Amino acid sequence: MNTIRLYLHSMRMLIRSQLEYPLSFFMQTLAQLVMEGGEMMAVILLVDRFEHLNQWGAGDLYFFFGLMSVTFYLTECFGRGITGNFPYLVRTGQLDTFLLRPRGVLTQVMCSAADPRRITCIAVGIVALVLGSRLSAIHWTLDRVLLMAEAILCGSVLILGLFMIEAIFCIYSVKSIELVNALTYGGRSACEYPIDTYPRPLRVLFTVFAPFALTLHVPGAVILGKPLFDWPMWAVWVSPLSGIVFFAVIRFCFQRAMRHYRSTGS
Amino acid sequence: MKAYLSAFRMRRRMELQYRGAVLGGVICQVFFGLILVAVYRAMYAGKPQAFPLSHITSYVWLQQAFFRMLLASDPELLDKIRTGSIAYDLCRPLNLYGFYYVRIMAQKMTGSLLRAAPMLAFAFLLPEGWGLMLPASPEGFAWSLAGLLLGLLCVSALENITMGFTMRTLDSRGMQALLNLLMMILAGNILPLTLFPDSWQRVITLLPYAQLLDAPIRLYTGETPLSAAPGILLIQILWTLLLTGAGILFWQANQKRIEIQGG
Repeated sequence: MNTIRLYLHSMRMLIRSQLEYPLSFFMQTLAQLVMEGGEMMAVILLVDRFEHLNQWGAGDLYFFFGLMSVTFYLTECFGRGITGNFPYLVRTGQLDTFLLRPRGVLTQVMCSAADPRRITCIAVGIVALVLGSRLSAIHWTLDRVLLMAEAILCGSVLILGLFMIEAIFCIYSVKSIELVNALTYGGRSACEYPIDTYPRPLRVLFTVFAPFALTLHVPGAVILGKPLFDWPMWAVWVSPLSGIVFFAVIRFCFQRAMRHYRSTGS
Repeated sequence: MKAYLSAFRMRRRMELQYRGAVLGGVICQVFFGLILVAVYRAMYAGKPQAFPLSHITSYVWLQQAFFRMLLASDPELLDKIRTGSIAYDLCRPLNLYGFYYVRIMAQKMTGSLLRAAPMLAFAFLLPEGWGLMLPASPEGFAWSLAGLLLGLLCVSALENITMGFTMRTLDSRGMQALLNLLMMILAGNILPLTLFPDSWQRVITLLPYAQLLDAPIRLYTGETPLSAAPGILLIQILWTLLLTGAGILFWQANQKRIEIQGG
């Protein structure tokens, strides 16, 4: 409980500190809006030209897009400590100070940054979700709402795990690995579209190794009434938990790696 | 002229220093290219279009390969303005605009050629319907090379105008981000301009952003017929002259009100 209070307190402080420069904040938030708006416009224009993608109509595609943007940018907004400059903390040896304090390292990293500029990206995602749900005439029931909440939550945890990979690499080799971006930002771009868009190797990558398909697409497809697989309902509920399992594995690796942590010093 | 040439060479050499770091970036870019191609392939399977799929996949690969031409900026100038060491640049017997123009051009050219070579080689090896097609005709290829060169001049002029804005305020990240995004969208990086609604294309292709990569790519794939090529190049030349002229005036105005920070 104490940890959560600490986290909420730091979030409040971090967001307030960013609002100290209102003009700069406003411009950057606007830039985020244009960025995510541009991505959504690309989907709209593609739908306008091609009308559908496999069995998915316009509404379905907007829904998947919205699901991904809301999940990804909620994570970037409130987990910026991990998705932002975690590798940088390791590389520069700034992580040392975290080791001295009586709290877990990951907790402190989570509390170290927030990115409220992403609020406009989240808004675009919500618009896409509402638009998609209208066009696809989703019949909202309590368990569908809960399933979507579970998908977004587990998806966020998965994304946090993916961003931690680079930090782990940094502990062993000080150089940062740009390649991990293929999984994080690449995963976001790819999984804005349902997984059956892709050829087999990419499907395997985003189902088994970075399970975006299990956390977002399986529940999303069920909510849309067009399940991806003939799975019983309980399996659909279990499937997003793979994000949490993924995070747990990465967290374990991180704890192991921390034993090897040698500060780079100054 | 010699001074500008050596500024260009110095910058080129600097850009060549980080070849190792480039590799990771290239692999990432290739991955993004594959994802985009897979999406367009799936869309095409549902509803084929007037132009063949290989045009779109070639468009994607050429955009990815020359990505660095769009997004490369000179962070040094901003630092110099912030710290006041811009004074050294003002002492040089060179035109400030010209000096930064050749620097950014060297950076954009070297950076994108360094990345384009391995990426285009990879894209050529991909099977039909995934990779990069051969140019539609030798003449078209020659026109597209000329177009690419003009695109480079044009994008350097655009970048200098963006820098002109950053000279006016000390924290210009927002402004810069906005202008860059506008460029990414209207240059066809996010979505190929050929996939925009046809009525939009008539306007968008006339904007300066379409001159950077879209115009040369269309010449390469043969989307633009050879007979129309001189007209396209004329538009590119006009925009380059216009943007360079506007940039020079803008920088001159900026230079008059520049304040040296220091202490």
